[in-house]
Amino acid sequence: MMGKRDVQIHFRLNWRLLAMEGRVSAAHTPANMPITRRKSYGRSCVENPSLFWQTPGHLTTLGHRIPTSRGAARSQNIISKVDPEQVALLVKHEWKLAYVTPLYQFRHTRLKLYSKHLASFIVAEKQQGLAVEVGMEAGLKVTISTVLGMAESEDDAETVFIQIHSKPTFGADDLKPVWCGWLTCVNGDREYLRSLPPDFVSLPLFCSSGSEPLTALVKSWFERTFDCNFGPLFLNSTTLNWLAALWTGCHPSSNIRYLKLSWTMPTQPPLDIMYTVNPQDAWELWNSIHAENGEDDRIHVDEVLRFMNGLETHLFRHFKIYLSAGTLTKVSTFLGSAHHHGKIKMGSSDYISTLLTLLTECALHRMPI
Amino acid sequence: MDEQSRAILQRTLRRLPSKKTQSTLRAWGCLSAEQLEDLDYTQPKWLLLENVIFKCEESRLRLKDVTKLEMVYYMENPNQGTWHAFKLTGAEDEALSVDFTQFKEMFVAHLEEVVKHVSVRIKKPEDGAVWIRIAWGDNFTKPNHFKPTYAVHYLQTPYVFILNLTAKHKPYLYQVTSFYLFIYFGHIFMSFYYYYYYYYYFYICLYESDCFYRSHSQALVLSTRYVSINEAHLTGRSLAAMRDLLMKQYQQVFPNQERTLKERNALPSHPNIDREHAEFAEGKHQMACEAFGDGTVPKLETAVYKLETRYRGSSNNTLSDRDELFRGVVKFSSPSLLESLRHCASTGMSEGPVTPLLSSITQKGRNLFVIAEKVPGSTSRTPARKT
Repeated sequence: MMGKRDVQIHFRLNWRLLAMEGRVSAAHTPANMPITRRKSYGRSCVENPSLFWQTPGHLTTLGHRIPTSRGAARSQNIISKVDPEQVALLVKHEWKLAYVTPLYQFRHTRLKLYSKHLASFIVAEKQQGLAVEVGMEAGLKVTISTVLGMAESEDDAETVFIQIHSKPTFGADDLKPVWCGWLTCVNGDREYLRSLPPDFVSLPLFCSSGSEPLTALVKSWFERTFDCNFGPLFLNSTTLNWLAALWTGCHPSSNIRYLKLSWTMPTQPPLDIMYTVNPQDAWELWNSIHAENGEDDRIHVDEVLRFMNGLETHLFRHFKIYLSAGTLTKVSTFLGSAHHHGKIKMGSSDYISTLLTLLTECALHRMPI
Repeated sequence: MDEQSRAILQRTLRRLPSKKTQSTLRAWGCLSAEQLEDLDYTQPKWLLLENVIFKCEESRLRLKDVTKLEMVYYMENPNQGTWHAFKLTGAEDEALSVDFTQFKEMFVAHLEEVVKHVSVRIKKPEDGAVWIRIAWGDNFTKPNHFKPTYAVHYLQTPYVFILNLTAKHKPYLYQVTSFYLFIYFGHIFMSFYYYYYYYYYFYICLYESDCFYRSHSQALVLSTRYVSINEAHLTGRSLAAMRDLLMKQYQQVFPNQERTLKERNALPSHPNIDREHAEFAEGKHQMACEAFGDGTVPKLETAVYKLETRYRGSSNNTLSDRDELFRGVVKFSSPSLLESLRHCASTGMSEGPVTPLLSSITQKGRNLFVIAEKVPGSTSRTPARKT
């Protein structure tokens, strides 16, 4: 069994190396090939793909370590560390989330080359199999850049930002942004990151904004080039609860303006219940549950649950509806919003790292082990 | 045809659903039978529209004909935008006997008394409703026909439904010149804006104009022989649903009403267990139907509760003891709210009996509520109205 796998990895790596050396200057794919197709490389498709796509690294250690406490959200002047223009790009859009397994032989120094390859890949896919010369793509410009300063710990890889602009065929040279996305890792699990073999770079959180087909193409290119795998990242109610509590805790230093919680009840037709809590009252409730204790302010998961339970009970006493029968679908404040389906929006740059730390952790947990 | 008429004509024609174009043009009645015969309804819509516009120009139709088409369109497709319900209160003896001609004469007379630049059209289709289209102007501008307000009043009932009253009239609120309009519908504006926003400037206007307000007649109120008009705290996209809800034109269930047990296709386990389950389920269903109606219920989209009550969460929390209010807004939304709530109650997703807060939607015909609790020393700005 192991021997067979080794052979395949070898085969895949060779293919990869060829691509890396730039010998394959033209990306082309057969017509009618579905973009999302999983490569099987001669192996039976019956096996669980998540097992097959196993990545080196002691992932199993992660599963048992869902943290029960976290540091309170702390305002950071991220603009002093990161280019304000790049921060503005992050804050502007609503992002669709995905997890990414570690990238094999990804180099931050080769981003220019990657941009060219990605551009020709997209054009080739759109032309359904016609060969395309690298660097001569019409109507498309891909920029891959590093966002320096987003990483929090020394084990985090620097964030990579991808922008796709369309070039109008005629007339003005204005580039119109059509898609953007980024891969990031903020405060990733140290033990896990250190256990990765040297050729792997872990950027587990992928955020995209733009048309679905383009997202699929970009993912497909990453999967082929860096031997990684993407999967949807849903935010479960525990994550949403954490966000609600962390954001509410920020109220004294940065006005959250509102705390909105949305539940969907499985009635027919579905019933949405949106509860908008006065920010001051929400904070007072939080403050009555969690007492701040100086510099090293830790928040325990029990406190988070008590806070959410307090709000749900308050609603129950009024409307007698068991919210536990439904799902918590959305949490939002002025600082940001997060949707159950894996969509986030950042309203303010001050607390980005808190949010991204939480999401990085979710992405690492969601990865197939 | 002037620019404005042409623009309104184009806009209305473009909105017409393709299938209904022919019948709507016929109902409009401004084009002759021959002209209507001439039109080819199988043509692509843009071409058909050009032909219609050409024929309208041929017949030298004017603005009032065009606005009539818009009214016909709204009457046939009333579910556009958000309707707000209002209730006339303090009926005089004559209120129930006001007929259409009387109403129309009085309405126009009263309105012209208070507003100069305003254009009003009144139509009465068969179902007992009076449709009023008002294009507002002020002392310096002509009535704006692009943003008309629609009011639907069902004669012999205290209800009025109004469309396009909020955002479109915000500019008026800040113009002193529009005082008259504001006096006319002042009452409506007041209760409405009181609920949503706090326009202090607006209040001042209102109090200054109070004498004005009393001495001048309120056209709608007087024409209907009622004393005042109040917001009914009900909004929705479907005019028919709101009317049905307020006039209780849906299948209601009353506590003492015998309802037959429905046969269920469950596998027979034990007759006693089955019966007990069925009775329990039936009891829940009965309770849900009593609160929200049976069968097809009026299609409401939202219900909003503004909560200004004491914190009622876990009892050992310090917040429960304090006098401060725990403020928040709860919004329920669904494609068909009453159906969802009924399903919620009958499947045990809520604890029975149904809370009066939710059953008030049907009982009181409202979907906007302020739930306030009297607390000493609180800073609540809204009147206490515990439902």
